[in-house]
Amino acid sequence: MIGKVLIYISFAASILSMAGFFLAHSGKDKFLGMGRLFFHITSIGIITSALYLLYIILTHQFQFAYVWEQSSTDLQLPLLISTFYAGQEGSFMLWALFTAVIGIFLLNFVSKGDRLEPQVMLIYTLVLSFLTLILILKTPFHYLWEAFPKEVEFGFVPPEGRGLNPLLQNFWMSIHPPTLFIGFSSLTVPFAFAIGSLMKNEYDKWVTFSVPWILFSGGILGLGIMMGGYWAYGVLGWGGYWAWDPVENSSLIPWIVNVASLHTILSQKKTGGYKKTNLILSILAFLLVLYSTFLTRSGILGDSSVHSFVDPGAVVYLVLVIFISSFTLISLIAIIFRWKSLKDLRTESSKFFTKESFLMIGALLLCASAVVVFVGTSLPIVSKATVEADFYNKMTMPIAIFLMITMGISLYIEWRQTDSKKFYNNMILPLILSAVVTVVLIVIGLYDPLYIIFAFVSLVAFFINARLAVRIIRNGKMNFGGMFAHIGIALFFLGVIGSGRYSQETNLSLERDIPKEAFGYKFTYVGATPFMDPNNKRDTMYAFNVTIEQDNKEMTLRPVMFISSFSNGVMKNPDIANFAYKDLYISPMSLEEPEPFPKEATFDLKKGTVQKIYDLDVEFVDFDFGNMEKGGKEMASGNYTLGAILKISDGKNSETLNIKTAFANGVPSPTPSMMVNNRNYEFYFLNMSVKGEEQGGTTARVSIIDRNKNYNVSQNETLVIEASVKPFISVLWTGVVLLFAGFIVSIVRRRKEISLKFPDTVPDKKNGQKSKK
Amino acid sequence: MTNKIKIVIASVIVVVFIVVGFISFMDNKVEYASFVDAQKKHKTVEVKGTWVKEKDAKYDAAANTFTFYMKDDNNTEMKVVFDGAKPNNFDIATMVVAKGKVKDDTFYAKDILTKCPSKYEGTGEDVKNTYKQQ
Repeated sequence: MIGKVLIYISFAASILSMAGFFLAHSGKDKFLGMGRLFFHITSIGIITSALYLLYIILTHQFQFAYVWEQSSTDLQLPLLISTFYAGQEGSFMLWALFTAVIGIFLLNFVSKGDRLEPQVMLIYTLVLSFLTLILILKTPFHYLWEAFPKEVEFGFVPPEGRGLNPLLQNFWMSIHPPTLFIGFSSLTVPFAFAIGSLMKNEYDKWVTFSVPWILFSGGILGLGIMMGGYWAYGVLGWGGYWAWDPVENSSLIPWIVNVASLHTILSQKKTGGYKKTNLILSILAFLLVLYSTFLTRSGILGDSSVHSFVDPGAVVYLVLVIFISSFTLISLIAIIFRWKSLKDLRTESSKFFTKESFLMIGALLLCASAVVVFVGTSLPIVSKATVEADFYNKMTMPIAIFLMITMGISLYIEWRQTDSKKFYNNMILPLILSAVVTVVLIVIGLYDPLYIIFAFVSLVAFFINARLAVRIIRNGKMNFGGMFAHIGIALFFLGVIGSGRYSQETNLSLERDIPKEAFGYKFTYVGATPFMDPNNKRDTMYAFNVTIEQDNKEMTLRPVMFISSFSNGVMKNPDIANFAYKDLYISPMSLEEPEPFPKEATFDLKKGTVQKIYDLDVEFVDFDFGNMEKGGKEMASGNYTLGAILKISDGKNSETLNIKTAFANGVPSPTPSMMVNNRNYEFYFLNMSVKGEEQGGTTARVSIIDRNKNYNVSQNETLVIEASVKPFISVLWTGVVLLFAGFIVSIVRRRKEISLKFPDTVPDKKNGQKSKK
Repeated sequence: MTNKIKIVIASVIVVVFIVVGFISFMDNKVEYASFVDAQKKHKTVEVKGTWVKEKDAKYDAAANTFTFYMKDDNNTEMKVVFDGAKPNNFDIATMVVAKGKVKDDTFYAKDILTKCPSKYEGTGEDVKNTYKQQ
């Protein structure tokens, strides 16, 4: 009850809050207080209901359908907490929670002075209102008997929940989804600023105010996306960090647009240009978040993604469609309504060699890549088809090359007028350094012309940005965040080139204790170590120890496989050895039981049919059950002896053999039988199979070994692995870290800038000291 | 540079990009098909269906292929050779999506997706089962 009531209160309060902000927007300033008050009620209501959900999860209240479905008592604390957002309802709750929390900070931020408060908060609250509406329709607070009224009687509390999907049971589950959702939630802020400025018909200030928020979204969302990549690479064993899966793509698209908007907004701050572009990009980034939610939550991509989706039902589908269409409509109406004033906003410089033009080119390139990903990802919606990863790779690579060129040279282009002599002088050193490094890369194996170009331009971008960053840091200034991010992206692409284009992989069948060589390493499977699943203490996992030897140095990698009791499926986790310039990546594929009898000498003999095997005519007559009852107690116990009667003729002699096998716990240990007059063959009875005529009928599996032949048999179990070498992947992760660091530095700097330009005013003192430059 | 030239250059770039994009898009488009359609086309397609559990399914370690029989939505059955080990969750999948090509009456799959929705969402039946265990 409590949870649902809190959501209802939040929803009602959000309506009142909007009314207050709307009236304040219409000039009735005294209603601003009402808007703020009810906004706080909305936020606190959502936060409290989220805490309540957490509480019922932590206290294992399985009478709640959501708690029963997602969690169980045996999960360790971090994973238990993560069951909060393991399902649809909870992830909407998480989205609402972050939006509410960010909203409190936003209200605090915009109420300090003349910062478009009524307009921004009206739009922001509308988003929050929609989220609470979804939580009303898809509530995590249903009791079991409400969720399943026919099957479950009132008041029933199951002793145990169903538990968390083992694919989600690891460290990254605790941080990847929340990070993404913070990113998603925070993109509401620039959207609210953009629409707010359209409402107010005032297009200058909002950009300054939204820059730190845009940076925040960009940093967090980017980090969240790459965490997903690391999860897939290091834990799930996809073999790579990016598969162009629809779910990955759908969070990438808003991020790219967000980053594009960041660049054109910086331009507007400096020169006043690109006002329309900035409005449109900020709006688009948010609408794309909604689109992403629609793609991943509506079940529409069910067939085309590796992520498992639940069909959420018609209600959620409809709400999501309404959610997107409403906000698209609001945006369109706002733009059309203000079209007249927007049309006249043209202050861009007409010169080409200005920083302004290059920021625009960068933004356009980013948008072009967003369009590519958008088109590819949306295809399953409009037709019964998907696109292959190759489409994305081929299309984004040329864009990335031009992007790197822009990212490099634009730093040496001035805002108003670029002195071409100075420009060329500046370019000399980075070009020389890049050429040298490219040559080194070619020597160690880079060969594809397109990739050589890609590596070269990435290096140019890297050196230019690094050089400027060093100069700025030496001067004790703060504005090196952008350069850090650029260096990060350049390194990221260099890592992509190495690990994507030049990774090598091979499959190895490692029979126990017998070494095999690949990539200059000696791989030996030395046995498995069982251990208890540390996350749920339910499953026995097996670490398969593979020693890897090179130049007398030995190490052990331990990929894991186990059968999950949750899904009855085999789960596999890779293991990775990180070297400075490459990763050695081992994915377990399967464990093959020992095969003491070679495949080519094993036959399924059908009862009553004569089969020609080598130079023999073999007929399987019947089983010999001895005194045993067919399918009786003794057979059920698994400890018994069974025979197969074979009639064998080699042309000269005809003999009848009764070959027997003793079973212990159902496992056969066959003993050899031989014909009296023909000592060339050994006969083993391996197993029986009694099935309907359509499935093959009654058969006996026997092995007939030609004693004069050498067979390839394995007495030991065999571990099959996929081993790969991925060069420069550490460069890629370094790039991601630097990119994120760049965002952080920029946020700090831009926040400072705002407090200098627009000093906080105390909101309570009316017209006390309104900020004026 | 005058505005006119700028616009011309920009439009040329955009047109080239769209044309290249369209060609690449058509090249890489993978349509859903039945086994019968897949046999006619020589393109990579995706086939939805279920695993025929009664028939032999085995992993060949030497070739690293997993062979099984699959029935598509039209109940056509075909042998599928997958380039890899048995996929995760294959045993419990209610639906299998195989991406690949047909050659000599065999579907060579380079990618397999497994779907197991029933396992990820509880039903009233599941609750009842915990009931019984009590």
